[in-house]
Amino acid sequence: MTEVSLDELGPVDYLVVEFPAGASSFTGEMAAELRALADSRTIRVIDVLILTKAADGTVEATELSDVGELGELQVIEAELGELLAADDVDHLAAAMEPGSTAGVLIWENLWAAPFASAVRHSGGQLIANGRIPIQAIIASIEADQATATVGD
Amino acid sequence: MPLRPSRVGRVGVIGAPVAKTAVVAAAVTPGPAPVAKTAVVAAAVTPRVGRRRI
Repeated sequence: MTEVSLDELGPVDYLVVEFPAGASSFTGEMAAELRALADSRTIRVIDVLILTKAADGTVEATELSDVGELGELQVIEAELGELLAADDVDHLAAAMEPGSTAGVLIWENLWAAPFASAVRHSGGQLIANGRIPIQAIIASIEADQATATVGD
Repeated sequence: MPLRPSRVGRVGVIGAPVAKTAVVAAAVTPGPAPVAKTAVVAAAVTPRVGRRRI
């Protein structure tokens, strides 16, 4: 793994994608898109784990390197760090339904790194960030439209 | 397969149990796009000159 200086590090995010029992359909599309994001230097994948949660709630974690034929993910696997600790597995698996499998992805937003660095150089510090769900945007617009209709 | 030994005993980066996010079923369910709402959202995120919030 290439060493990254702290000053040049972009924001690091994670997601947990759950595949309910019997609902997964792996065609390679996800791997190809992830590889494309990495190849274009939009993101750098830092860590990947596959979690399975049994019906009794017990959780098993699998390293990407133990998955077998990785295909598009082979190059990504070779560059992975090991950011997640064993303690993190239980915390991440808390959101999973029993009987499901989940992929955990940790990545650095390379696209945001130069701006984040510039903010730090300018004396700024991050005090809040987040994601606005599409549902929240829809709800806001629909509430706005309902208010406008009542006012007509 | 177990985790690598190097992950055990370290301080984690996920501080607390993660709560389940609301599932965006419409976005992940195959089928026709919800055209009406897509247009509404698109309008909300499109640059609008002179737009006022209040």
